Amino acid sequence: MNAEIQSFMEKHDLLGCIQCGRCTGGCPVTVRTNLNVRRFVYDSIDESMLDELAKLSDIWDCTTCNTCAVRCPKGLKPLEVLIGLRGLLVESGIIQPTVRDALESVFQEGNPWKKPRATRLDWAAELEAKIAEPGEKVENLLFVCCTIAYDPKLQGIAQNLVKILHKADVDYGLIGEAETCCSSEVYNLGEAGLFEMMVEDNTELLNSFEAKRIVTISPHCYTTFKSQYPLVKAEIIHYTQLLAELLENNRLELTNELKSKIVFHDPCYLGKKNNIFAEPRYILNQIPGVEVLEFERKKERSLCCEGGGGKMWVETESRKERLAETRVRDARAIGADVLAVACPFCVLTMDDALKAKGLEEEMKVADITEILAKVAV
Amino acid sequence: MKMFVCIKRVPDTSEADVKIDQTAKNVDSSRFSFGINDADNYAVEEAVLIKEAKGGEITYLCLGPKDADIVIRMALAKGGERAARVEDPRINYRDPLQVAKVLAALIKKEKFDLVMTGCMSSDDSNMSVGVALAEELGVPHAAMVKKVEILDGALKVQRELEGGLSEVVEISLPAVLTIQTGINVPRYAPIRGIREAQKKELKVLKLEDLELSENEVNEAGSQVELLKFYIPEVVSNAEIIEGAPEEKAEVMALKLVKGGLL
Repeated sequence: MNAEIQSFMEKHDLLGCIQCGRCTGGCPVTVRTNLNVRRFVYDSIDESMLDELAKLSDIWDCTTCNTCAVRCPKGLKPLEVLIGLRGLLVESGIIQPTVRDALESVFQEGNPWKKPRATRLDWAAELEAKIAEPGEKVENLLFVCCTIAYDPKLQGIAQNLVKILHKADVDYGLIGEAETCCSSEVYNLGEAGLFEMMVEDNTELLNSFEAKRIVTISPHCYTTFKSQYPLVKAEIIHYTQLLAELLENNRLELTNELKSKIVFHDPCYLGKKNNIFAEPRYILNQIPGVEVLEFERKKERSLCCEGGGGKMWVETESRKERLAETRVRDARAIGADVLAVACPFCVLTMDDALKAKGLEEEMKVADITEILAKVAV
Repeated sequence: MKMFVCIKRVPDTSEADVKIDQTAKNVDSSRFSFGINDADNYAVEEAVLIKEAKGGEITYLCLGPKDADIVIRMALAKGGERAARVEDPRINYRDPLQVAKVLAALIKKEKFDLVMTGCMSSDDSNMSVGVALAEELGVPHAAMVKKVEILDGALKVQRELEGGLSEVVEISLPAVLTIQTGINVPRYAPIRGIREAQKKELKVLKLEDLELSENEVNEAGSQVELLKFYIPEVVSNAEIIEGAPEEKAEVMALKLVKGGLL
């Protein structure tokens, strides 16, 4: 038992904490919840406290936006302490039914949405999309993401991207029904065992293709493949990097004009986790007629939409204004008519916030693929 | 407490596009996801809770193909000692009485205190296997159970009735309970537990192992004949009754009487 607890403390370098509180000070969800991540770092040093700490609902408020890790002067990752505590609950089996169902669904069907594997490619039914064959060379292997593949509100992201790739005559291929959850959210929900299994299986799957690059649509898949799949051979890129490259090399002609004031919301997993700030802005700036606006809180300081960190399956108890609602309010205040994003979770949370704030008439939430498809396809 | 829990792997048809194949005797299941039958999952949890509170052992029983092993392993990961799965093409899985015969043959071989299963399977929805199993075993049963209290050699159980009513009964052991959903909150089986559960015994059996003759459980020996599956025609025949409440009630009552419903 001692060795196990010791490893929790060692794993998270808890003694490295100097209690400066920058993690909690920067944590975006503190405006609407009681989460005090510094306290969890501090209290977790006491091995006898771990099980009790794991029972506090606050540990599920974290969106894993990475702000605490970005701000920590000691290079600690306070969010990982919360994920570790979630893991203790998961191991006990006593977790919220929504979390249980998501994890069981990943285990059984390869996606967290309780959808059959056999319908994973339904989004592409109307397209003549190319399916890559294992062993066959492909320049860009497209990894679609479970949420985009199954949610009718998001399937357009993948459809538009495929249309753009056709237009630019890009060598690409889809994985098809075999595509399986990257398990970013499995990790964030604390199921380390399942995550390890998925990494092993997915690595084998991805390496079975002769792919030069794996193009991820979700920044969550991107981050996970890049940082937690050490044995994947192909280079991992995000689709905004591919699109920026196509525009830069004049491989994609923008045939239409779009009169629009667009503000780009930096998704945490693209920005704070990976420092990809330039490419989305570059793409938007190439569109004739578009005026690109900026939030006051942008890039590393971007406000989390509260869609990640397993929050799709755990509702925060707070009734205070959601961060996504703050974000759409801010976007409207600076005069944007489109709030552009490049992450499926951001699309969902921002779109809900738009409705909650009654701003649907004045403003629209759109993924970059949707905006680009309007002027390129 | 020596317990047996009967579980079934079923397709999730809640949002699926259900299609019937050309024979009209099967549903095309190629685009379904599968998992443990919902009510059975609650029966598993109830057994694990009883074991945790009072001690004992749990054996899971299942009829079906190898694909069902995953739901058995998940149940074993939550708690339980062993499992048996019967896979034999001669068995008519469609007839709940014959399914009960097969399950009874498995259970009869040993001494038992309590047998539990879900009150209904979400695919065939017969609600018959549990009660038929009690008959086969010659023990009392309680169906649609939503609360279990362990007494000395007996159980006090709360049964769900229609119209929001509940019935509390005392039932002597050994007994069969069919468990209603919502009785508890089924736990999650972490992957480490499922891996551990690979070490537990899972026997795969055929009719010969159960000392059952083929004609007791095959289609020819069945009292149930499946004629066909069909998708009910969607029709709309709503009538809005106008008038004061007492007038509406009178018109409604007359319609029900004329229609033979009252």
